[in-house]
Amino acid sequence: MKKTRLLSMFIAVMMVLLITSSAMAETIVIGGAGPLTGGAAQYGISVEQGAQLYIDQINAELAASGSDTRFELIFEDNGGDDTEAQNVYYRLTESKGAVAFLGDVLSSNCKVVAECANEDGIPMVTASSTSYEITTDHPTVFRTCFLDPFQGVVMANYAKSKGYTKVAILYGNDDDYSIGLADSFEEQCKKNGMEVTAKESGSFSDMDFSAQLTKIASTNPEVVFLPFYGEQASMILSRAASIGMDVTFLGGDGISNIVDFMTDKKLLTKVVYCDHFDANSETEIVKKFKADFKAKYGTDVTLSFSATAYDAALVICQAILRAGSTDKAAIVEQIKAGTFDGVTSTITFDDHNDPIKSAFIMTFDESGNKTFIELLGNE
Amino acid sequence: MLFLNQLINGLHIGSIYALIALGYTMVYGIVKLINFAHGDIIMVGAYVSLLLITNSGLPYYLAIPITMVFCAVLGVLIERLAYKPLRSAPRISALITAIGVSMFLQNLAQLIFSATPKPYPSTVISTRSLSLGGLTVNLLTLVTLGVSIVLMFGLSAFVRFTKTGKAMRAVSEDMGASQLMGINVNNTISITFAIGSALAAIGAVLYCMAYPLVSPTMGSLPGLKAFIAAVFGGIGILPGAMIGGFVMGIAESLTKSYISSQMSDAVVYGILIIMLLVKPTGLLGKRASEKV
Repeated sequence: MKKTRLLSMFIAVMMVLLITSSAMAETIVIGGAGPLTGGAAQYGISVEQGAQLYIDQINAELAASGSDTRFELIFEDNGGDDTEAQNVYYRLTESKGAVAFLGDVLSSNCKVVAECANEDGIPMVTASSTSYEITTDHPTVFRTCFLDPFQGVVMANYAKSKGYTKVAILYGNDDDYSIGLADSFEEQCKKNGMEVTAKESGSFSDMDFSAQLTKIASTNPEVVFLPFYGEQASMILSRAASIGMDVTFLGGDGISNIVDFMTDKKLLTKVVYCDHFDANSETEIVKKFKADFKAKYGTDVTLSFSATAYDAALVICQAILRAGSTDKAAIVEQIKAGTFDGVTSTITFDDHNDPIKSAFIMTFDESGNKTFIELLGNE
Repeated sequence: MLFLNQLINGLHIGSIYALIALGYTMVYGIVKLINFAHGDIIMVGAYVSLLLITNSGLPYYLAIPITMVFCAVLGVLIERLAYKPLRSAPRISALITAIGVSMFLQNLAQLIFSATPKPYPSTVISTRSLSLGGLTVNLLTLVTLGVSIVLMFGLSAFVRFTKTGKAMRAVSEDMGASQLMGINVNNTISITFAIGSALAAIGAVLYCMAYPLVSPTMGSLPGLKAFIAAVFGGIGILPGAMIGGFVMGIAESLTKSYISSQMSDAVVYGILIIMLLVKPTGLLGKRASEKV
């Protein structure tokens, strides 16, 4: 009697183990990384939140349709450091069994990791790295955001369409993103027959741009292009106001979060920038995304990277489901050939693995709310 | 006109460096310690004033004195807890402790306020400017300049004419002898730290009005520049710190405008190196022979 009870307990335990281990086999791990601490933490966090939201939704859908397949996103902190980014990538793909990689968040980290992913053949989709070279000669690396050069071109075309003829540029000389945007903007302005009256630069760590602004103001431009992130741009706007500069400021996607750093929100009405996503759009998919995001995190979508990250997760998961396996080459093939209905737009990829889409030209109203102006492509 | 504008920009940031440099120089003068946590006192001052102004809704004329008192108490506490036990230890131990205190304050701020920078409320004076025949001068620049010059002369007078000032000079001359003469060395040192930290608090408010973003690491750059200003002018000498601050600010601003913005730090450090080669004790430093 005692023996049979022991035996039955043993069998029960074995069955439980068996069931859990077979369920484990159905869980597909997707690795992800970005800065969750440090100065760029907000970008990493917004990417993680957007991606996790999609993973939750697809898992719920799969459960409803009776499928055993589940996705798991393991998103780790790399502190924005290049070496750590590489370590995290290897930890996730080699010991945690990630079959695809969502990231990295910062362009400089992404450059390092894209090289590794390409070597390993791991499908990688970044939601936020806008630097051109990330996908060059890396057939397994994709992105759901648009590029640095594209943003510069779009903003230069916007300036031309508004009839501006004299432009100036102030950029950060120790940041790839800032340099990339500044160069492409300058080039396109010259192509458009506009005059670049001044091109000044400063260090990101140095918050003092007074000298550069004074110099720019003395050349009387009509617009000033600021390829910065919200932090620096907010500082520049208030300094510009204090020396009495009255011009329109153009920027890239990096300054979409500027409203968090501004106390004098009226200054923001002079800012026009390009974004990946229009949170005020009335389309069903965007409204649902916003509502779900608010329900899960209790806050509104502040950075458009949450939307591009949602799309990146969508691209990866859909490609895996369409491939019907976790074979790396098959996933890459599905991403390359597929059409994906994301929240930022319908996404297809070009020869350079970049999404084919337009930029949302945005500005702010007096209380700092984002307002949509128009959609612009690079034509 | 551009030159004059750039000169004014330089004077503005230079006077903030000067205010902070006064704290470095006073502390060095009296305990021969380079207080690397001084830059982080600026950061603490910035956060405290930010909380007082935005959360408690206090006006500036109340928020600034409270911030000064808070920073002064913090400065004294740091001295009592971290530096005093090491007063007779080798100087390098105290120096390393100072770096430790700096890291502690930065990480504590990061823990409490998170790494995301917070915007500092803008004031009337930071947006209003005066026009003088094509030359526009921001009101904040004038206020900053005025405040730092007044404080600098006030401090010089305090050190020269008051009893406490006399005690400070005596302790900096010879700590042991002044103790024998009946001077309370501990109190004198505490007062020095309190004054230096209170000046840093004013510097913090002025800095944040011009660059309205508060983050846990915001103190390190102005702290470093102010330290260089203090060394340039001759560390331990009050007018030297002031002149050093102005020279640094103007050199930075003119380099950014006429040479290249990438070169501004190189030029500033270059000036320091040349100064140290030509006159190792700094601009106003006196050569003191080592007593054996």
